[in-house]
Amino acid sequence: MNFKIWLRSAIALGAFTTLVGAAFAAGTLRYATVGEPPTLDQHVVTSDLSTTIAHHMFEGLYTFDASNSPVGLLATGEAVSDDGRTITITLREGVKFHNGQDMTSADVVASLNRWGEFGSRGGLLFANVESVTAAGDHAVTIRLAQPFGPWKNLLAFINGGPAIYPASVVEGAGKEPIAPDSYIGTGPYRFGEWEPNRHVELVRFEGYVSPDGEADGYGGARVAEFDTLQFIPVPDVGTRVAGLKAGDYDYAESIPGDLYADLDSDPSVVTILNGGPIFGLVFMNSKDGPLQENFGLRRAIQTALDKVPALHVAIGPEGLWRANGSFLPEGNVWFTDAGTEHYSMGDVNAARAMAEEAGYGGEPIKFMVSTNYPFHYDTAIVYTRQLAQAGFNIDLQVYDWATLIEKRAQPDQWDMFFTHHGFVPDPILISVMNDNYPGWWTTEEKNALKARFTESSDAAERQAIWTEIQALIYQQVPTMKTGDVYTYNIASPDLDGLGEATLIWPHFWNVSK
Amino acid sequence: MLIYALNRVLTLVPTLLAASFLVFIFIHLIPGDPASILLGDTATPEEVAELSRELGLDEPLWTQYVLWLGNVLQGDLGTSVFFREPVLSVIADGAETSILLATMTMFWIVTFGVPIGIVSATRHGSWIDQATSGGAMLFASVPTFWLGLYLILIFSVGLGWFPSSGFPSLADEGGASNLRYLVLPSLTLAAPNAALIIRLIRASMLDVSREDHVRTARAKGLHPARVAIKHIFRNALIAVSAAFGFTFAALVSEAVVTETVFSLPGIGRLVVQSVLRRDYPVIQGVILIIVVFYMAINLLVDLAYASLDPRVSLK
Repeated sequence: MNFKIWLRSAIALGAFTTLVGAAFAAGTLRYATVGEPPTLDQHVVTSDLSTTIAHHMFEGLYTFDASNSPVGLLATGEAVSDDGRTITITLREGVKFHNGQDMTSADVVASLNRWGEFGSRGGLLFANVESVTAAGDHAVTIRLAQPFGPWKNLLAFINGGPAIYPASVVEGAGKEPIAPDSYIGTGPYRFGEWEPNRHVELVRFEGYVSPDGEADGYGGARVAEFDTLQFIPVPDVGTRVAGLKAGDYDYAESIPGDLYADLDSDPSVVTILNGGPIFGLVFMNSKDGPLQENFGLRRAIQTALDKVPALHVAIGPEGLWRANGSFLPEGNVWFTDAGTEHYSMGDVNAARAMAEEAGYGGEPIKFMVSTNYPFHYDTAIVYTRQLAQAGFNIDLQVYDWATLIEKRAQPDQWDMFFTHHGFVPDPILISVMNDNYPGWWTTEEKNALKARFTESSDAAERQAIWTEIQALIYQQVPTMKTGDVYTYNIASPDLDGLGEATLIWPHFWNVSK
Repeated sequence: MLIYALNRVLTLVPTLLAASFLVFIFIHLIPGDPASILLGDTATPEEVAELSRELGLDEPLWTQYVLWLGNVLQGDLGTSVFFREPVLSVIADGAETSILLATMTMFWIVTFGVPIGIVSATRHGSWIDQATSGGAMLFASVPTFWLGLYLILIFSVGLGWFPSSGFPSLADEGGASNLRYLVLPSLTLAAPNAALIIRLIRASMLDVSREDHVRTARAKGLHPARVAIKHIFRNALIAVSAAFGFTFAALVSEAVVTETVFSLPGIGRLVVQSVLRRDYPVIQGVILIIVVFYMAINLLVDLAYASLDPRVSLK
């Protein structure tokens, strides 16, 4: 008798779950993320995951079109004075915040000022800004100390960038990230809820006022087709893939290279390359240790490395990486082959001779790497082996990411460390250009070139100067680029409007299912 | 019995103090600090120092400990550095998942493990015993992440019977039907644990069956099933009840791998992620609660002994 009851309940439970399963998630996009973002406040955070979520909520004055050129978003246009020091930006009228208020110049001034003082990338521009003031309700004026070429790219880059918040939110917000209940922007989706370890949920903003024009990259018209977007942390990659195939997720990010061939040929899955490649960087210590100012020794290390086998080992299929020595990828306006003949020589004998000439006597070289990112560790293992063959005594130190971040801030703790860099639209944003970034590259030659690079507003001249800077990087070796890595995501074939590749971060306005 | 229980609760206090102190010291000894993780790659040392000050991390360790302990005594476990929510509410979220998951897992263990263990003990040496012992060894050895992924492939991707991952709260849309999210993870967790319980029941029952009172019962001509259940199994339960208690406690606090594979917002994953983020208040809070939980389970197991075995007196 008991068994019969059991059997009946089991059948009932099965039927029930099938029913409920069929009615699942209409009008909701379910996105499987690798983890949880630290915060969604774009001013203070440079996490790509944070931007992937937040750029549906927050908008800047400018954004990028499909060719990575800045175009207006909350701005309709600008006038730059002849001396290049006064920029007047006109704002789109009738734009509403998620709390119903109109966006005016007061909000823009407050947001830019907070970003300039406390933002991750704000200091770059604001080191050179004398004032930001309102010029009527729908225009702001930025006064610069010197002409500054990259201003528009910096304003358009929302990651660690100047999202526009209501003045009431940012005034007095300071350095600490804004709390979730104050996530108020102008984007097509507004903040719903954040349940730790469950999801971040965004809800369609009914009062959204879209820019005009055909959609182009992140520019042009934006339509929120989904009722809600859910970003769900799914740390295990096997589960992200299986969950997408089972229909539990519509989109899953950060899938390893090993699975690419299988997934690419699977009709139940669409693979989407991320347009802006990330690249590994091995920084060298300019403040302390044997590599400090010993450019000969650094070049010897650079000469010993053959980057291609490491890319094979760490990334996998050839479609997902490029052994490219230019800091920005081919096709980008900043692409240049200056210095790249030194990018991947793999000449063990030459390296040995160069090291000897530079006075290297076999002292240990401390090389820090984290296991949090498998491709860091895999690449570092290959490099350590290659360097050992050229006679270098590499002391590979393996840490978790949090420990590595703390140690790299202490110059006496390391000689080289491994990190990676996201795609950026202007070379001024690459971490090696930042004098305070661990590694602390601040030679006279760099400083002189950097000053010219930021002062010039002429696109062609700036590109020419960048060519010189990249050549200098290969001479002084403050960092070594490991190669371009094209990460990829997977999506359900039911999604319409995704395109073949993302521009930088995936976006889900103008996307439906 | 009441006095015994009260006494036991009082002895928890020094143990808790010791545990909280050790956790506090160890967590602060690991390099890495929450401020630099929160502020990310581009933060300057001054900004990190400033945030550390705001978070109270620049105080001497002793002061931090005393402050924290004072707050805990008033029921305030602090605020999560990462989530910016009270630690208690972060833990409560995780606890719902973990306790439901552990309960459902125990349900499978009792439903399958106990009868199989009894059968395998009463028929020991037979092919049934060989088959169940072999099966139990197999399930005890299979890594949970492997089993979990295969269950997902078969029952979510292939048959579409159960969701592959996640767990919306019972309070969310779907209500009690959200329990279906826990079916595959609980089966994954139940497999190795049921296997151990089967082995344990079998071994304890075989021990007991060699005792005099069992021979007497058999000699009286009692039905073999009655001997097996009333005279052997009931006595074997004393050893098994402790195992049940600690399995349950471990399921609540240590199911990290299963929680990761099925992306469940449970306690185990919360601890591991909080360590990676150096979210000190959450780590301290969760461990404190896990310690209390283990102690409570321990107490319950002792009380269960007394009711199972009248010879055990609680004084």
